[in-house]
Amino acid sequence: MTYDWSVLWRAPYGELVAGAVLTTLELALISWAFALLIGMGSGIARGSPHRAVRLVATAHVEIFRNVPLLVQLFFIYYVFPRFLPEAVRRPLFSLGWETVSAVITLSLYTSAKISEHVRAGLNAVGLQVQWAALSTGLTWWQAQSYVVVPLLLRLIVPSLTSEFVTVFKSSSLAMTVGVVETSYLTQQIGAETFHWVEANTFGTAVYLGCAWAVAAVMALVEQRTRVHGLIGRGAG
Amino acid sequence: MSVLLENIGPLALTFLRYNIAMTVSAIAIALPVACLFAVGRLSRFPLVHLPVTAYVNLLRSSPLLMIMFWAYYTGPMLTGHPNSAYLSALLALAAFEVAYFTEIIRTGLQSIAIDQRSAGLATGLTSPQVTRLVVLPQALMRMLPSLLTQSIIAFQDSTIASVIGVSDVLQSVTIINARDQRPIELYTALALGYFLVCYLSSRWVRRLEVVILHRLSGARE
Repeated sequence: MTYDWSVLWRAPYGELVAGAVLTTLELALISWAFALLIGMGSGIARGSPHRAVRLVATAHVEIFRNVPLLVQLFFIYYVFPRFLPEAVRRPLFSLGWETVSAVITLSLYTSAKISEHVRAGLNAVGLQVQWAALSTGLTWWQAQSYVVVPLLLRLIVPSLTSEFVTVFKSSSLAMTVGVVETSYLTQQIGAETFHWVEANTFGTAVYLGCAWAVAAVMALVEQRTRVHGLIGRGAG
Repeated sequence: MSVLLENIGPLALTFLRYNIAMTVSAIAIALPVACLFAVGRLSRFPLVHLPVTAYVNLLRSSPLLMIMFWAYYTGPMLTGHPNSAYLSALLALAAFEVAYFTEIIRTGLQSIAIDQRSAGLATGLTSPQVTRLVVLPQALMRMLPSLLTQSIIAFQDSTIASVIGVSDVLQSVTIINARDQRPIELYTALALGYFLVCYLSSRWVRRLEVVILHRLSGARE
């Protein structure tokens, strides 16, 4: 068995490689943005004074944490469109439902985990801060958005880092519904050329690169947003 | 609904034989290795702790799917003969979980006070004996809830084996769906089944955590 690394940049795979890596980045980054929004909302809602709001947020976390991601993806990909009228379903499929369903699933799955971190962060911020904010005459929403959330975001940066890395790793499952991203192309190159070592090295290198880039960026964010007076990494 | 009634028996059997059996075997392989690795990570010798740290970081930064690709597609190049998808998936899952278990056990080891080690050494035990007989059992006890939570995640991840062709419960549902075109019933039942198993086990782990914390604090008094 001789290695032929040029399969990775030679035609026909050369162009596909760049496209697949971009798709991975796209999937992960868009899902991450949605996950942050939903997870933040859900996490804060778990401390809401209304019982019904708390219940919905808890259900969101429990459902998406206790079903395998792959099962969620298949569920959303196959089952969700069945509830849509034909007029909506057709354009949805021609527009690329596989990518959209992957983004929806990744966002919801990741948001459930972010919600947990947000709740832990809320506990760390403490009730006193909440009460102090409320006692100045702010409404509950104002207290959350002007006082609690800014503090909370800075506290949970370290735990968000690992979830951010996980989004990239999880996005590899999108290949199962037919999204042409890194692991899809890895399997395609391997299956068509039998150069599995080269193909797998390419795929693994992309994910490792993403993980290390995320770690580097988040280390910088962590350093910049550190709450002074609290012990953090590198705070001594 | 009839599609469920007809297939629920075989599907439950597949669930047990593939997903649960694979997870349990992978954990049985991963746990002892992770104990060794965790001790290795804390070793004074760079020749021991550097490779172990590299392994943990590498495996934790790659998707499980990629590790399964390596095991299934390049495994035969190393061994010289074809390997089954099931065995590849099992070994990949075990290798993946070793990295996560190592980190959990290492945290546990570090949480055991240095006094315990000194006390053990004072009774005449050698350093490896202290690690094995005094520190490790306590670390494992303290970390049991985290190890169990990680095992539930491993159980969920076992569905990824279907991507390399293991006929686990997810692949069986997909095949039945291709034949009968009943995605609503089939995938809802699958999601619900998984939800029940994972939700109930994680609730049980949370209760266990309270009991263990209570016991540990009692033991210290």
